[in-house]
Amino acid sequence: MRLPQGPRRLYERWLARRLPAASQIVLNQKRIFIFPTGYGFFYLLVAALLFIGGINYENNLILALSFLMASLFLVAILHTFRNLSALGLRNGTTESGFSGEEGALEVVLFAEQRAHHCVWLRWPGQDAQQVSVMAGEEESLWLNLPLARRGKISAPRLKVESRFPLGLLRAWSYATLDHYCLAWPRPQESEDCPADGGKNNQRAFSSGQPGNEEFQGLRRYVPGDSLRKIDWKGYARGRGLNTKLFEEPVGGRLWLRWDKLEGLGDEQRLSILCHWVLELDRQHQPYGLVLPGLTLAPDTGDVHRWRLLDALACYPEF
Amino acid sequence: MARIYQVPSHTRLWLTLAVTFCALPQLLKGPLWQGGLFALVIAIRALVNRQRVALPGRIIRSLLLMGAVALTFYSFGRLYGPEAGVALLVSLFGLKYLEVVSQRDAYVLLVLGFFVCATSLLFSQSPLMFLYVLLCMVLLTACLAGINHSDTRASGLQHLKRAGIIMAQAVPLMLILFVLVPRVAPLWNMQVGNGKARTGMTDSMAPGQISELSESSALAFRVVFDGDMPPPAERYWRGLTLSHFDGRAWQQAIPRGMDEARYLYGGRGPTPDWVDALTAGRGDGTSYAYQVIVEPTQRRWLFAMPVPFVSEGGVSLARDMRLVANNPVSQRQSYQVVSVPAATRRLPLVAEEKALMLSIPDESGRRARGLAQQWRLENPSDAAVVQQALRYFRQQPFHYTLRPPKLVADPIDDFLFRSRKGFCEHYASSFTFLMRAAGIPARVVVGYQGGEQNSLGSHLLVRQYDAHAWSEVWLEGQGWVRVDPTGAVAPERVERGLRAALEERDSGGELSGIQFDGFADSGLLGVMREWADYVDFRWQTWVLGYDSQLQLSVLSKLLGQVTPLRVAITLMVSVALLLGLYGLYLFWRNPAHSQSPLEKEFWRLHQRAQACGLALAPGVTPSQLASTIAERWPRAASPAQDWARYYQRALYDPRQKTRKQQMRHLRGLRNRLYKLLD
Amino acid sequence: MQALDKALAQVGRVVLGKEEQLKLALTCMLANGHLLIEDLPGMGKTTLAHALARVFQLDYRRVQFTSDMLPADILGVSVFDPSTQQFSLREGPVFTQLLLADEINRATPKTQSALLEAMEERQVTLDGVTRPLPAPFFVVATQNPVDQAGTFVLPESQLDRFLMRISLGYPAPDVELELLAGGDLRQQVRELKAVINGEGLMKLAQVVGKIRVTRELLDYVQRLLDATRSDDRFVAGLSPRAGLGLLRAARAWALITGRDYVLPEDVQAVWASVAEHRLSARQGGSVAAISQSLLQSVPVVRR
Repeated sequence: MRLPQGPRRLYERWLARRLPAASQIVLNQKRIFIFPTGYGFFYLLVAALLFIGGINYENNLILALSFLMASLFLVAILHTFRNLSALGLRNGTTESGFSGEEGALEVVLFAEQRAHHCVWLRWPGQDAQQVSVMAGEEESLWLNLPLARRGKISAPRLKVESRFPLGLLRAWSYATLDHYCLAWPRPQESEDCPADGGKNNQRAFSSGQPGNEEFQGLRRYVPGDSLRKIDWKGYARGRGLNTKLFEEPVGGRLWLRWDKLEGLGDEQRLSILCHWVLELDRQHQPYGLVLPGLTLAPDTGDVHRWRLLDALACYPEF
Repeated sequence: MARIYQVPSHTRLWLTLAVTFCALPQLLKGPLWQGGLFALVIAIRALVNRQRVALPGRIIRSLLLMGAVALTFYSFGRLYGPEAGVALLVSLFGLKYLEVVSQRDAYVLLVLGFFVCATSLLFSQSPLMFLYVLLCMVLLTACLAGINHSDTRASGLQHLKRAGIIMAQAVPLMLILFVLVPRVAPLWNMQVGNGKARTGMTDSMAPGQISELSESSALAFRVVFDGDMPPPAERYWRGLTLSHFDGRAWQQAIPRGMDEARYLYGGRGPTPDWVDALTAGRGDGTSYAYQVIVEPTQRRWLFAMPVPFVSEGGVSLARDMRLVANNPVSQRQSYQVVSVPAATRRLPLVAEEKALMLSIPDESGRRARGLAQQWRLENPSDAAVVQQALRYFRQQPFHYTLRPPKLVADPIDDFLFRSRKGFCEHYASSFTFLMRAAGIPARVVVGYQGGEQNSLGSHLLVRQYDAHAWSEVWLEGQGWVRVDPTGAVAPERVERGLRAALEERDSGGELSGIQFDGFADSGLLGVMREWADYVDFRWQTWVLGYDSQLQLSVLSKLLGQVTPLRVAITLMVSVALLLGLYGLYLFWRNPAHSQSPLEKEFWRLHQRAQACGLALAPGVTPSQLASTIAERWPRAASPAQDWARYYQRALYDPRQKTRKQQMRHLRGLRNRLYKLLD
Repeated sequence: MQALDKALAQVGRVVLGKEEQLKLALTCMLANGHLLIEDLPGMGKTTLAHALARVFQLDYRRVQFTSDMLPADILGVSVFDPSTQQFSLREGPVFTQLLLADEINRATPKTQSALLEAMEERQVTLDGVTRPLPAPFFVVATQNPVDQAGTFVLPESQLDRFLMRISLGYPAPDVELELLAGGDLRQQVRELKAVINGEGLMKLAQVVGKIRVTRELLDYVQRLLDATRSDDRFVAGLSPRAGLGLLRAARAWALITGRDYVLPEDVQAVWASVAEHRLSARQGGSVAAISQSLLQSVPVVRR
């Protein structure tokens, strides 16, 4: 059923107000809606037919049978409701991805009071997934999330639905977890490395000799200076306690710089930076990143790469 | 959603059982081929479920369907009407089961199941049948729960348990609805006879007919008295009067020149003079008020003591002081009667009637006529002639027997002067003949005499073997007077019933072959029969007989004043209250409940160890518990460590899913550990 | 996992007889938390920190805190560079991977808080430029027992920044004997072999996050936190941050023990060092005694 644009927006706004996002949600009366399924209506129709039959045949037992069917339906309301009530959902971990690809979010379902059978989780544009959670246990589901754009992609509203136990009624709820997936910028190839500090600004392939620290001078010792950098020789010659100063190593350490991509759009800049992060990581080159408002020191490794990619994804709000 | 949800395998058993149980009443009752069809369907399903064969294709299914339709037509001669319709429905039900693959199919099958259950109640309304239908409903609900439980790890028993719980909660709700939902008058009239030819009275009486009835202990009707019960000798339940004798059999007759409309009075139109006369006598002497609940007879006549007055519609009073239903009694029916025995004297005897009551065929009973005329000459009054006749039966060697010898030639003379062995019908017949021959208006009355009292319900039970025939003679000033010649021959028959009468003078095993299902049987069987009758009786009065009138009286007792608004509010409030109660129970947060079985395991061992004298802090971890036990009981060290290891993994390793098997293992370990403590 | 065992063995060679404390210190590092060592001078605090840095190939700096120290002494200063005629940033000692902050309670609260903020944020903002601290970044701070003169007591809110607090204590007599016979400690530390580098440590820290925890265990942690809050012998209960820290430390402990899921024992093992420095008892109570009694009375398995 599709509502026209206007009412649907109103409905969405009402839902958002009624069911605000949270990192952990326990379904309760306020959140659960319940309505008969098509089969439920059919079942009620059958009960009504039996009622008419009982009346016409003046058969009290057939009447009783129709009443029994109606009672089963009423009791089923409670049971269907109960199957969803007190089901908890919370954020699990996430898997980031490049924009245009898919990320994934983990949703953890927990059952603190009772078992919840055959619960369907569905979010827009995806096949529903079914899960049962036993009392006191947890189950987790991974839901794919298409990453349409770079940035923090919030989890869409999740529909939790169940027809258990009799299929006569459908109880459902919407859960908005304030959960997000980071969509890294889609890498965009570019010839020029937007980096500083490499030997070659055009194409950053350094000779790769790290730690080539250049001695620059001395200054007075300040408490807290590394003892290794104290000019012990000079101290021995009575020149007082001085600290040796060294220049930043020039050879391999590269600073990828936002300002180097002047004149391009923000997204394009980020895409190019992303490409070079991946490229330099492939070459095991230490690299840092300078974005407006954030500086990440050069380093290598998976963790470092993720940090940079995440920073690119989050720009400009870190 | 395009995906097809298959019926999960753990539900198959319940589907098979539900289909079988729902169809069984019809299979037992209906034609034999239906049983065969079901056996075939279930066999195919069983093979399909074991993946031995594929599901039959569309062609085979259509052939089966056509076959079923053809056979139904062959068996019933038509495809509509209750019997044929139900047979067809049940066949369709079976064939639908054959093609169940998806959840949707199962839904359709289950709906058909509800209908099949309802049709079972169309033909039998006994409490047992209703219980059986409830069982079927539990199975159908289990199927519903099963097809909605798509987890493969679910167990079948779980569905039955769930269905049982839901059903147990639904039944009280059903009772509320049953009591409170207003009964509506039928929208159109449909009556279904249960088609069973029952033993019972016919509308003529030839020698030997009533003795056949006496071999049956089936229930004829029940009587519930408001107030005093008449003494046993007064319990004559009149059914028919037979006024025309053709030399062999007695038949019903209306006096010549009297039309049926004047003969029956149904409460509408101008009252005939005889009704006025009878109504005038309503205050005469003692009266008995009672309710008769009659079993289906497929006849119109009803049973009552003389002179019956009824107030409800649907029942007419006949000139011969009996009750006649407007429609044949095809279901249990009840009616309220007030009988005034003394009112009989108010009824006049008109000339046409007198002529009929004196008519006897010319050629029969020549010797009997002679005897009667002799009595007539000897005695001045009619009453004396009656006494003379009774004396005759008493003094001559007449014999009361269920197996009289066959009468040849003239039945009256042959009985009176040769065989002299007979049953009530012989006595009534010959006595009436003698009276008519002597010029006294007389007729035969058939009905039931006596009845057994159920001490639980204090109602009277009248069975087929209580069938009886007697005479009525018209005496000036007294009206129609009942004379029971059988009483002259076998007084116990009237006082204590057929069984006593036959036992008294048992001549060569007459009792053998007759089933007496009375309560008089000593021992458990009698008590059980009494109970069964009581349940049946209550079922009849409170469940089957719960009509709009009874509902009105119940509601007015409950609510005082019955208005639609009050009934509606009561209905809603009581349903809401009950559902609220269930809600409280279902949503109750029991802290002990939130403890998982695994957690309980720990505390069991903890408690046990403490009971055995170990001082334990509550904050002890499983492995600390185990090592404390190991310190105290060194021989328990290794099982204790085993237990702790296993338990820790079960409780704290998320990849270790606790299944039944693990729980069992853990319990085993703990029990082994128990033995090593103390 | 073997790397961790090796690391423990290596450090154990110079810090004798303190296996428990070593394990806790390592746990703290794996849990990506900062360590506070409360002890009298000369108990081997420095040796421990130095050995840890050595074994994990971490860049190591030591700062002796004094009352006249300024925040810039820790974080860094802008220095005029004559060659470029510009101010350039001179990073302070905090720009290292393992910082030993000796006698932190001798510094003024202002200096203390500058360091503690850097610890928390893992970045330093100087003259409007934010510079991330190296990763991994650990602070091992030592503190004299508070009753000593001339100290500024660290406020509780600051103590919360330290994941764990341990104290080494006097060595056992036989260990001390060995210590006395052992010779030059400094030399021994220098001889220690690196086991893994900083990046390896980061990876291990990632693994810590993946150590599994069941609902039942979370329940237990929650019960413990609840118990501190409802116990009126404490001034205030543990904060949610403390709860997260407890869980993280328990995970790291489980990893060191060689398990990939957490047991209540792991929580109990790190309980004292994670919880006690964040709690303060009302008059006349000993935090250690009360917290141990809680451990005894809070049911491990829900009842």
